[in-house]
Amino acid sequence: MLRNVLLVISVICLSLWWAHRAAAQNAMPPPSETGGDCSPCHYTNTPSMDDLIPGRRCARPRESDPVAPKGDSAPDVVIMNQLTDIYVPVVFPHGLHANMENMGGGCVVCHHHGESGKIVSCRHCHSAETTADNLRQPGLKGAYHRQCLACHREWGHNTDCQLCHAKRTPGQPDPKIDPTDITGRLHPNVSIPDKRIYPTPGLPDGVMVTFQHKEHVDLFGKRCVDCHRKENCSRCHDTVAPPKHIRQNTHEDCVGCHDVAADCTKCHMNGELPPFDHARRSKFALKPYHQGLACQKCHKDNGIFTGNKTDCASCHAADWFPSSFDHAKTGLTLNEAHKDTDCLGCHPNGLGKEPDCSVCHDDKKFPKDVPGTLAAAPAPAPVAAAAPAAAPAPATENKAPVAVAEAAPAPDKK
Amino acid sequence: MGSSVAGAAFAQSALAESSANAEDGYGMLVDTTECIGCRKCEWACAQENKLSDKPVEAFEDPSAFEEPRRMTADAYTVVNRYDIPDQPAQHTFVKAQCMHCLRPACVSACLVGALRRQPSGQVTYDAWKCMGCRYCMVACPFQVPAYQYDNALTPVVSKCNFCFNRVQNEGKMPACADMCPPMCLTFAKRSELLRLAHQKIEANPDRYLDHVYGEHELGGTAWMYLTSRPVTELGLLEFDAKAIPDRTEPMQHAIFKMGVPPMLLFGLLTVAMKTFEHKEEE
Amino acid sequence: MSHAGHPISVRRGLLTPGAAVLAGLALIGLGAAAYRFLFGIGAASNLSNQYPWGIWIGIDVASGVALAAGGFTSAAVAHIFHQHKYEVLVRPALLTAMLGYTFAVLGLFADLGRFYNIWHPMIPMMWQGNSVLFEVAMCVMVYLNILYIEFLPIVCERFAGRVSLPGPLRALNPMVERALRIAQATLGKMMFLFIVGGVVLSCMHQSSLGSLLLIAPYKVNPLWYTPVMPMLFLLSAFSAGFAMVIFESLLSAWTFRLAPETKVLASYSRFLVVFLGVYLVAKGTDFVIRDAYHSLLAGGIAPVMFLVEICAGIVLPLLLLVSPRVRGTALGLFAASGLVVGGVLLNRVNVFLVAFRPPYAQTPYFPSLVESLITLGLISALVLTYRVFVTIFPILPAGECVPARELAAEDIPAETEPYAA
Repeated sequence: MLRNVLLVISVICLSLWWAHRAAAQNAMPPPSETGGDCSPCHYTNTPSMDDLIPGRRCARPRESDPVAPKGDSAPDVVIMNQLTDIYVPVVFPHGLHANMENMGGGCVVCHHHGESGKIVSCRHCHSAETTADNLRQPGLKGAYHRQCLACHREWGHNTDCQLCHAKRTPGQPDPKIDPTDITGRLHPNVSIPDKRIYPTPGLPDGVMVTFQHKEHVDLFGKRCVDCHRKENCSRCHDTVAPPKHIRQNTHEDCVGCHDVAADCTKCHMNGELPPFDHARRSKFALKPYHQGLACQKCHKDNGIFTGNKTDCASCHAADWFPSSFDHAKTGLTLNEAHKDTDCLGCHPNGLGKEPDCSVCHDDKKFPKDVPGTLAAAPAPAPVAAAAPAAAPAPATENKAPVAVAEAAPAPDKK
Repeated sequence: MGSSVAGAAFAQSALAESSANAEDGYGMLVDTTECIGCRKCEWACAQENKLSDKPVEAFEDPSAFEEPRRMTADAYTVVNRYDIPDQPAQHTFVKAQCMHCLRPACVSACLVGALRRQPSGQVTYDAWKCMGCRYCMVACPFQVPAYQYDNALTPVVSKCNFCFNRVQNEGKMPACADMCPPMCLTFAKRSELLRLAHQKIEANPDRYLDHVYGEHELGGTAWMYLTSRPVTELGLLEFDAKAIPDRTEPMQHAIFKMGVPPMLLFGLLTVAMKTFEHKEEE
Repeated sequence: MSHAGHPISVRRGLLTPGAAVLAGLALIGLGAAAYRFLFGIGAASNLSNQYPWGIWIGIDVASGVALAAGGFTSAAVAHIFHQHKYEVLVRPALLTAMLGYTFAVLGLFADLGRFYNIWHPMIPMMWQGNSVLFEVAMCVMVYLNILYIEFLPIVCERFAGRVSLPGPLRALNPMVERALRIAQATLGKMMFLFIVGGVVLSCMHQSSLGSLLLIAPYKVNPLWYTPVMPMLFLLSAFSAGFAMVIFESLLSAWTFRLAPETKVLASYSRFLVVFLGVYLVAKGTDFVIRDAYHSLLAGGIAPVMFLVEICAGIVLPLLLLVSPRVRGTALGLFAASGLVVGGVLLNRVNVFLVAFRPPYAQTPYFPSLVESLITLGLISALVLTYRVFVTIFPILPAGECVPARELAAEDIPAETEPYAA
């Protein structure tokens, strides 16, 4: 017995020691401790946060986005003039690219080795000189080209030099660069389909899943990136051969809100699922004003959509005092005659219930007659309203600085 | 492209190493996954070797990719385009030029020593010695050397010389590597490059096939390729590891070793001659 | 020493219709050669970066050297192994070899891009001993000179005491006369060196011609590519040597209306049977060991050419020659030896042209008109020169004249005439 216990203890001790040793070995010193030489660890060809050092743990603490731009500090245009010879400097619309970053992995896609919160220039690591010591990383020229081409080659299929470089005419001054030309343009709004209908492979024909796309955005408050994770530009912008979108795990996008294990027929059904109908689901028809609201406006407990009472006061108790109540919010602006009438005078059966005109008027009846003017049914909220993080206003008056990055001395024109 | 200074620094540091290991000459690693087919290397090569005075625009014509090309008397290097199955819009580009074999067949073939492999790795050509027999072209397994067939009086065998003069005397990188925009050509000592190539493969197993083309082919070549697809789909030929001269030279040397076998035959025949002469007399 | 009639000069006029045709072809060839030297190889030929060698190497040089092998085989038989009954065959064979090698070198001039550097292999500074071609070049160069030396006694025999150079060269007559006398006096004692040396050099470069394409294992069709190519080339050169002597002996006998040496040739053909048999066995064994028969199933012209070469060039003449009845007749000997000569010629063409298929080549090589005219011109000039030489020098045995009617025109297959050297 004692022997077994001792054995177990010694095994545990040994494995702990081994694990410690292994961890100590795997943890490489941070770049600051290697004199700025990244090459002992970072020899991947296209470094990303996921693939810095194969099979090794990075000692640097990982953050979700180590170089997230702070406010408006990201430049809209970067002029690359480090290496120019036969071409004029390249105007890189940084803002345009930064605007799309949250679709495809963040700033780190390009700023792959930045320290947290700090963006270093490419030149910081990729020297313009190739020496025997830095073979593992491309020189500055290679770094620039590879960075751009990794995406542009994939979706543009165009590697013409003049795509980015304007040709320099010998003996002529370089063409003027107008940084305002393309600055501040945001990614244009994308059209959101009303619904998507997916066949269900493996199930009999006719079994389909209806995805109410617009509803999810407008009503349920989903952001594009909540489902469209790790998208890349070529998904939409591949001009020649758009790659087919292959869903690895089709349920992955839904499980956040829906219990996919519970009842398949809730989604997989013979026929199309009609749009969400609050009246059918809860016996509480949303009157015009409620119709345009995102679900969370009323169902404030995240993810719980039951239990709300149907009387107005249960929600509006805090802001609906008879003294301050604005009847127009219900969609009916009261006329002068009724403006100051006591609430229960018209609604003897309770607030929020149908009014009874016969208390005062023998010849009037709701809803044929209305004591005021009815507002038109509110239009569905615009897309942008649904996204919590409102996109920055189109910066026609550009505040962001035009950074002449790599503002090094004049390039070596051989 | 502003890196002439860079090349100088590089060549010097690399040269310092070369004295330590004389066998390890220069090499070039071509990363075909990075090549964009801009053909700037062709232009740089033509400029450096004064092969043509065509402007850079002449090398931007995409129709050049319609048919696979090979090197000619005025093009030491050509870039070819290869389709990727199932991806109609994607292409792989592969640069072709002299591979600068460690055991070159052309050098073994040349009867006047016009072709030589330099200790620093370059296979160079001396037109002054050349007879123009074109046996080197017969011998080259990569079918690299081209001939100035249109030159009636002083034709030369034309092939990439790895910018021998530029590297050894000017201390720069070869012109193509100097020019390459995405820097898919890495110029260094061959041993360095092999290490780098295997590190790249290890780091990106999805991107590269685990095969450095030229590491072992025909006894090894100074130019080596990293590919994402089987080399035969990229216009490269498959070869054994056996060097071409190993197929001819041992036999040649065994038969004619120090002239002993011919002398032996000579002696035998002389003896036979005398023997039969005597028989006749009897 | 000579029980057959001693060789004499042929007493026939040169201006026959055949000779006129040959002269015409040679002149056209000369024009084609002028075109090549003025405008370059590219303008004259279909040679390309993928096909650097064409008929100038495949036919003029490789086949020419193979068919000139009679010089050393007959010298070996008659002079080294002292089979004196074959002495009558030596001089024609020697002349064929001398002219064959000379014209091979002339063909080489057309092929070499820098023909004026042809002397470079003689410079020790440029020697490159690893090169098969270097060895071939050296052997051919030395052997060509040996052939000239071996021919010198014939010149002496013809002109010693009879030198009469025309016109202003008359002053040189005594000097040439003395040189001939000295040669006559010294050569006899040293000739055995040259004869043995010639045989050794021939064995070396005949086999090395087979090594030439060993350096292109990925370009030569496996039907022909084998590490023992040098041995096969040597064996086929032996066969070609014996066959060529028989073939041209009969051909010149008929052409010059001399009595064919049928008896001597029938006996001589036993050597051919032996070497041809050994060649066939070697080629067949190698073929089986290498499992090369898979390549026979491949499409294209190569398997056909291979089978023609084996069947018509080796098996058929072997069957013909083992029959004493066929061997005993001039026509049978002529047909069999002609097939062997054609077979070896086809082998050289196959190895250098048909089998050579570089992977990157887009279109196969086919000789251009100018290229072919040069080759044709060289062959015609060779035959013509032979004709001139046998008229001037005592080469052919002094046989009895055959009445013209016995020589039917159809006895001589027309297509083999260019090789009647």
